[in-house]
Amino acid sequence: MTAPLSLDHASRSFRNGSGIFDVDLELEPGRIVALVGLNGAGKSTLMRVLLGMLRPQSGRALLNGDALDSAPLSEWARVGHLVEYPLAYGELSARRNLELSARLRGVADVPAAVDRVITEFALEPYADRRVRTLSLGNRQRVGVAAALQHDPATIVLDEPTNALDPAGVIRLRESLLRRAGDGAAILVSSHHLDEVARIADRIVVMNAGRLIGDLAPDTPEIERAFFELVRADDEKAGR
Amino acid sequence: MKAAIWAEAVKLAGSTVGRVASAAIVIGISVISASMLLAAATTTDPQLLAKLGPVAAGDWRGFLLGAVQITGAGGLGGFAVVLAWMFGREFGDGTIAGLFALPVRRSTIALAKLVVYLVWAVAMSLLLAIVLALVGTLAGLGPIGSGTLEALARQAALGVMSVAITLPVAWAATLARSVLGGVSVAIALVVIAQVSVLAGLGGWMPLAAPALWAISLGITVGPLQLALLIPFAAIFVVLIARSWRRMQLDR
Repeated sequence: MTAPLSLDHASRSFRNGSGIFDVDLELEPGRIVALVGLNGAGKSTLMRVLLGMLRPQSGRALLNGDALDSAPLSEWARVGHLVEYPLAYGELSARRNLELSARLRGVADVPAAVDRVITEFALEPYADRRVRTLSLGNRQRVGVAAALQHDPATIVLDEPTNALDPAGVIRLRESLLRRAGDGAAILVSSHHLDEVARIADRIVVMNAGRLIGDLAPDTPEIERAFFELVRADDEKAGR
Repeated sequence: MKAAIWAEAVKLAGSTVGRVASAAIVIGISVISASMLLAAATTTDPQLLAKLGPVAAGDWRGFLLGAVQITGAGGLGGFAVVLAWMFGREFGDGTIAGLFALPVRRSTIALAKLVVYLVWAVAMSLLLAIVLALVGTLAGLGPIGSGTLEALARQAALGVMSVAITLPVAWAATLARSVLGGVSVAIALVVIAQVSVLAGLGGWMPLAAPALWAISLGITVGPLQLALLIPFAAIFVVLIARSWRRMQLDR
């Protein structure tokens, strides 16, 4: 079966030497893959390459087996993403922003999709307020809702729990588990190992732009195991 | 394309920038033009009358000549600020990342921005011409004859043609990835237009042609010179669409 989104030996570096190098990664329907790493490990760069925001200098990024540039445009309607900043315009209400995202993704029944996701993420009290007036956490909720409201088959979220309050974290967790249960392929990056261990089927560790190994979600003392993996990789590379 | 146009229209309609610029263009230019008319009617100071130029005559012709002079620079500035904001704000607000990985091409989003900008600018130009006609009538300039109608049409056409010459602003805001980058280029466009007139290029310089055409009552700038605006605009539309299509979030 073709992976909905994948990287095939993809490399993309910047002038300062950072980037991602020879990355192979496949998302799988029905599974949550968590990408963990220290700041600057390359998680956001990996996601940017995966979503076409950066072109790989070597290797390929693929959507349903097609290179991103040549993949049918309509395939992107089944992808939902939130990388770095939420697609939420400050001058518009939360509801208007959700409508905007839904329309851009070609959702057939926009009001129904928006109402559903407003309920799912408990955005009712804020729905008609301008996003500019919302707290960072609620703005993030709007961004997450915008990325998920069209029930995408593939979901890519970069640090989605950033600024979320505990209630928001729980709602997001339940939402992702339900969507994975419905067959969505999910990639989530996070700093919170305990949090991702609760939901991920697979935890991939990234260090210095490379995927250096997997951690089983049920690993005891997972933070220790993570640092051990990173330390061993740094030692191997003489860093 | 429909969804992208809707999205851009909603963003512009909801923005403070859009509202302030709309008011500044329609009300601002009308108020300044009316003030000049009032000054001409109430002063006997020969120096002030000389400064007021054609407006000093206190008739439709002078009033509308004053308005096109203000629109040539001020209106252009107002349009350019809105265009710079429409493109540059996506980078400043970080929303550009959300415009990737969509079933709408980024070049389509850029073209939708230009369509909404064009519709808004045409609406503002028509509204300004209507408000100027009302102001002139209320100021007692007399009935609107065919010559005045022609001048009002030129006033509206100047606004519409300003759309073409502000397009480099959208490209600059895209390349600079900031509103300020676009605004800086808007200032440069006004300077280049002035210098090119001083250098004798006149109507052959697309940046200066619309204002020269309107100020000279359509005499010193010919149709061919105005027609140069079409390839000028087309080149920048292509450059903008190409930059959005090829864009990478690498900085």
